[in-house]
Amino acid sequence: MTDRAPPPNDNGFVPLDLDQLREMARINRIDVADMFAAAGNGHYGSCYSCTEIMTALYFSVMRVDSRNPERPDRDRFIFSKAHAAPTLYSALIRRGFLPEEWIPEYETKVGVKLMTHQSRRYQPGVDASGGALGHGLSVGAGMAVAAKFDRSDHRVYVLLGDGELHEGSIWEAAAFAPKHKLDNLVAIVDRNRLSVDGRVDEVLPLEPLADRWKSFGWDVAEVDGHDLEALVKVLDVPRIGGSGKPLVVIAHTVKGRGVSFMEDVRSWHFDVISPQQDAALRLELSEPLK
Amino acid sequence: MSLLDDPKRLGEHVADFRARHPKKPMRQEFGAIMLALAERRPDVFAVTADLMYATGLVEFGARFPDRLVNVGIAEQNMIGVAAGLGGAGKLPVVCGYAAFIALRAVEQVKVDCAYNETKVILAGLSSGLTYGVGGPTHQTYEDLATLRAMPNTIVIVPNDTVQAALAMDAAVEHPGNTPIYLRLGRGPEHVLTKPGDPFRIGRANRLCDGDDVCLVANGALTFEAYLAADILRGEGIAAEVLDMHTVKPIDREAILDAAGRVDAMVVAEEHSRSGGLGAAVLEVLEDGHDFPVARIGLEDEYPPIGPMPDLRHALGLSGEAIARRARLLLDRKRSRRGR
Amino acid sequence: MTPSKGHNKELAERAYRVRRNAVRMGEVQGQGYIAQALDIADVLATAYFHAMRYRPEDPNWEGRDRFLLSNGHYAIALYAALIEAGIIPEEELETYGSDESRLPMSGMASYTPGMEMSGGSLGVGMSIAVGMAMGLKRKKSDSRVYILFSDGELDEGSVWEAMMSAAHHKLDNIIAVVDVNNQQADGPSTQVMAFEPLGQKLEAFGWFVQRIDGNDLDAVVDAFDAAKDHKAPKPRIIVADTLMGKGVPFLEAREKNHFIRVDAHEWQLALAALDEGRLA
Repeated sequence: MTDRAPPPNDNGFVPLDLDQLREMARINRIDVADMFAAAGNGHYGSCYSCTEIMTALYFSVMRVDSRNPERPDRDRFIFSKAHAAPTLYSALIRRGFLPEEWIPEYETKVGVKLMTHQSRRYQPGVDASGGALGHGLSVGAGMAVAAKFDRSDHRVYVLLGDGELHEGSIWEAAAFAPKHKLDNLVAIVDRNRLSVDGRVDEVLPLEPLADRWKSFGWDVAEVDGHDLEALVKVLDVPRIGGSGKPLVVIAHTVKGRGVSFMEDVRSWHFDVISPQQDAALRLELSEPLK
Repeated sequence: MSLLDDPKRLGEHVADFRARHPKKPMRQEFGAIMLALAERRPDVFAVTADLMYATGLVEFGARFPDRLVNVGIAEQNMIGVAAGLGGAGKLPVVCGYAAFIALRAVEQVKVDCAYNETKVILAGLSSGLTYGVGGPTHQTYEDLATLRAMPNTIVIVPNDTVQAALAMDAAVEHPGNTPIYLRLGRGPEHVLTKPGDPFRIGRANRLCDGDDVCLVANGALTFEAYLAADILRGEGIAAEVLDMHTVKPIDREAILDAAGRVDAMVVAEEHSRSGGLGAAVLEVLEDGHDFPVARIGLEDEYPPIGPMPDLRHALGLSGEAIARRARLLLDRKRSRRGR
Repeated sequence: MTPSKGHNKELAERAYRVRRNAVRMGEVQGQGYIAQALDIADVLATAYFHAMRYRPEDPNWEGRDRFLLSNGHYAIALYAALIEAGIIPEEELETYGSDESRLPMSGMASYTPGMEMSGGSLGVGMSIAVGMAMGLKRKKSDSRVYILFSDGELDEGSVWEAMMSAAHHKLDNIIAVVDVNNQQADGPSTQVMAFEPLGQKLEAFGWFVQRIDGNDLDAVVDAFDAAKDHKAPKPRIIVADTLMGKGVPFLEAREKNHFIRVDAHEWQLALAALDEGRLA
């Protein structure tokens, strides 16, 4: 990865190398734990399944600029599974968009800047407020249409939960994007296979998931969603001269990844953490994941 | 015998009054509005859900194919895509039917547009009863309630095709990052407005002066209120007519000013009596008022199916019905005062 | 009119009469979704006179198969079939679309015997079918739920929500028919929102899929039989490619025929064209 040129005009930011990315993922998990410790609870499982995705995007792939958060040619990130917003907060904090001092205030009192779901009203660097599932792919598609119209080379990334694919509106947008040849649009499915009520595919099956997206006209890539090297490679789609099709990256992930007692446990979608559990979590996160 | 009590004379009078005010159809006029807008503003996009023909966008599509986004029959996606375009600095105008914007995709309007502070113009045609024969799925009498209740919205109900054009201009110029809903009709309706007439968002237009009763209306019922004032004049009753084209933000001043002068108020709208213009007027008067307020609108039941404008009139949304109601309120109030 | 290998002569006559009823209703109002009624008549004839179980004299008989019309604007087509089936008296045809009629222009369950849902808002029928099919299974009923919807409705996300549910709950008592006439309000459906490869999409969503020429009666009959006989615990869908205006050449040829107005004299020409096809 070190041979990749830094994204241009990006406030001098140099993409992190693999070891740095792993460390940043570790920091992200700790930041998230700090926020949830402040609140007394949180969507641990949902956050930890997408830590590497977020880290790859914000510290290697995306062109963003903390000195000018609204610059027109920035890459866009639409966080459709917004209940994992603390992972985004950490990325924005570590990239210099938001102050670190906000972390211990998370959800603690009326008027704080960080709450469960991200909001453009309070957080610079956020491209779309979220919280209602099934919206993000449409909003991202609209932004991608505008980018094509403006002949801008920026890209639009949309992170979806796999349970979110139950929403029909996702499939409306899935039919829309290929028709408009939006190869500047990348949908990422955080395929952690768990939703609030249990196994996603027992609640309502999604397989054959890749075939479904292919039949709707998308390029499909499947990747280990915790493999930073693989993520960077697949997410960094060409800015110009793309395939003519939108890309969906099915990122196979483990809910609660990195904390052994949370991994693939339904109840950690959202839960209260005890002081003992919090201590155990921090011990496990003292080293980057292998 | 008074005009209101003489069905034959009243019928002739109303027919004559209507004949003096020619009609124009919304669908075709809306297409012309969009076309003119696109010529003037290169940032304007039309976003529709398989209603390109129904909203008169054929010419728009031919002239500006890159700026007509047809998402198919997928209304949630329509609002989301529009919000994405707005978020990318474009000025999207969603061209659809009121029912599908304000009911089917209402969460997208709230989250993606209103909460997200994205300016999107939402043009909801075929509102109210105007798609009479389409039945309850295509009639819309709940949209003012849903869109008025969510923060950061502007809700406008133009009274005719000319005012629709003025409202569109005002919406385009409006500086706020706010979804702006234009509640529009469908078929031919009487035209009251002239091209140079004043139009300011949130500022009612007074069409007639009078201190006996105030008639508040919007949309197609503005004409009916105007007709009612004409009928009442023959009864010796002076009616003020307020064209309350903006339901949100409502013109508090105009309502409170009238409240200080008149003996009764009648609010007429082609919407459920719950949550629409009548409710908005009463919200302004909630600190107390000592005159009767009647709300004419749709009762809490699904109306029958039938052609327009007969359906509207059959449901009591007519100049004659407004005039009768106004006279009744005044009679009661004044007889009580007499005692 | 519809070419038949012989054993479907009676069905062909039924289809002819369904078309004829639809055209006569169109004449009452001078306009309507006639081209759709003509394209789907073969499917409706097969459903009502080959596949389905019902009692004309008792439209609410508990043991009946349900027929859901998701595309409520096809009401004229369903009325035509319900009249032919004896569920609605033929005289009522003259009242189509008028005040007080039991046959409003958009399908209303509370108005019309044999109409199982109020359509009009597109993309909602499949969800209702899922609920009905689950209810019938719960009651240990062997009745089936037939549902007709249009290709344009595939744009609606709610249809895909229901598709996922039907497969998940193994609702093999659903037989869906999607009318692919490739014509919606704004033009050819595939241009408004590309939906092909449709068969592949539906298979990926877990359905037993057959794709046929929906105006070939033998193919329609075979598809309904195969849908009933199929062993896999999957919902069944028949993708029926049809021709708008089928059976009336001058309507088939009309370029924009989603909602058509027909001149007064043309209704007789349309009926004559149907008669000609019937003899042939």
